[in-house]
Amino acid sequence: MHESERRMKIGKLLFVTKFEDLGYDALKTLLSLRQSGLEHIVFMYVIEREKVSMRRGIGYQKEEAIRLKETANIRFIDWAERLFEQGMEVGVYIQIGSLAAEVARAVRKEEADLVVIGRSHKTGLEQFYAGSTVTELIRRLPVPVLVYKPVTNSPFVTGTPFQRPLIATDWSPASLRAVEYLLDLAPLIEEVRVVHVADAEDIEGSSVMTAQKTRKDAKARLEEICARFQAQGSTARSHVYVGDPEAEIERAARECRATMVVLGSSSKNLWVERWLGSTPRKIAENSAFPTLLIPPAIG
Amino acid sequence: MGKKVLVVDDDPDVRLFNTTVLEENGYLPLEAENGEEGLQMIKSEKPDLVILDVLMPRQSGIRLYRELKTNASLRDVKVLILSGIAKKTFLRSQQALTEFGESQVPEPEFYLEKPVDADILAATIKKTLG
Repeated sequence: MHESERRMKIGKLLFVTKFEDLGYDALKTLLSLRQSGLEHIVFMYVIEREKVSMRRGIGYQKEEAIRLKETANIRFIDWAERLFEQGMEVGVYIQIGSLAAEVARAVRKEEADLVVIGRSHKTGLEQFYAGSTVTELIRRLPVPVLVYKPVTNSPFVTGTPFQRPLIATDWSPASLRAVEYLLDLAPLIEEVRVVHVADAEDIEGSSVMTAQKTRKDAKARLEEICARFQAQGSTARSHVYVGDPEAEIERAARECRATMVVLGSSSKNLWVERWLGSTPRKIAENSAFPTLLIPPAIG
Repeated sequence: MGKKVLVVDDDPDVRLFNTTVLEENGYLPLEAENGEEGLQMIKSEKPDLVILDVLMPRQSGIRLYRELKTNASLRDVKVLILSGIAKKTFLRSQQALTEFGESQVPEPEFYLEKPVDADILAATIKKTLG
């Protein structure tokens, strides 16, 4: 089959939870993906090694490891029973180790199509030294990552993530790949907003005509993308914003009442990211909206 | 030589418990850690009994049980389900899959919910194998 004819399918989802960040209520909002072929959910809980590792005078905290493992197991059994009864396939991983490494291993072993994680709870300093979980995952994983934010935490987000996504594009190959990915999920989408954030420097000092031309050109390109979504049966609208991409995408998501932000992610190396950051990662970490990051190459 | 019994469970502690019970009762235990590996071993080792967990990575016991019972050459393999998943959930799941258009499969004859006492497990294995 020709590459362009191959439709993206989310058949298997890896749901990585620490329980306080992602619960069954979050999972329920993703079950609309069954329309796109979702039939297998794999739960994962990683006990961070430092929680049970050797300590002076205590040694390896085996009892704590067993307690954490069994607590997770009891919770997963309850979730699994609900999904099994709906005819879904369910699997579980409970591991001790580093979160990003264990998730990457499970994705390879399970051949998962999508990873869902909660927001990182590390502080800015911890993220700088250890790297944020999102950054680590995106760097390691060949599949999209949905950084889930509970709907109840935000007065702006109502609905299920794939219902009214907002996709931001800067015309980069990474962002255009995100468009292609979302197009494959069009049957799930009620309405999509396609947004471009123009650089304020392009507008500053230029004439009214030039500024308007910048806007008009961007709008025309966005409309081409909208037309592709409309051809798939989704309502689509385009918007041009100006300013800082992170702030403007957040503003656009709020104003459009989006249910999720979708972004392409390029492959910067780890140190470049730690020093300079990247818009997709910053949005994934800081936005009130669930954020779907599409990697450079989907494997 | 004792009868071959395959234990399919992702938890190494459960596999150790089950294989110990089997050895102590004169059976020859085999091990697999998920449904996929279990199916391969059933085909290659032809065990007399499979002790099957439900919630596992790669392939669940629900899927493996269905594969066994819908495969003419494997449907006579005896299966004892041993799981933390309730029997009613197992049955509802199979019913849901049938409603989605998959073949109907028989109810498992033997189903034990974890945790299980060693004596009860040994007695059930003996009963299953006749």
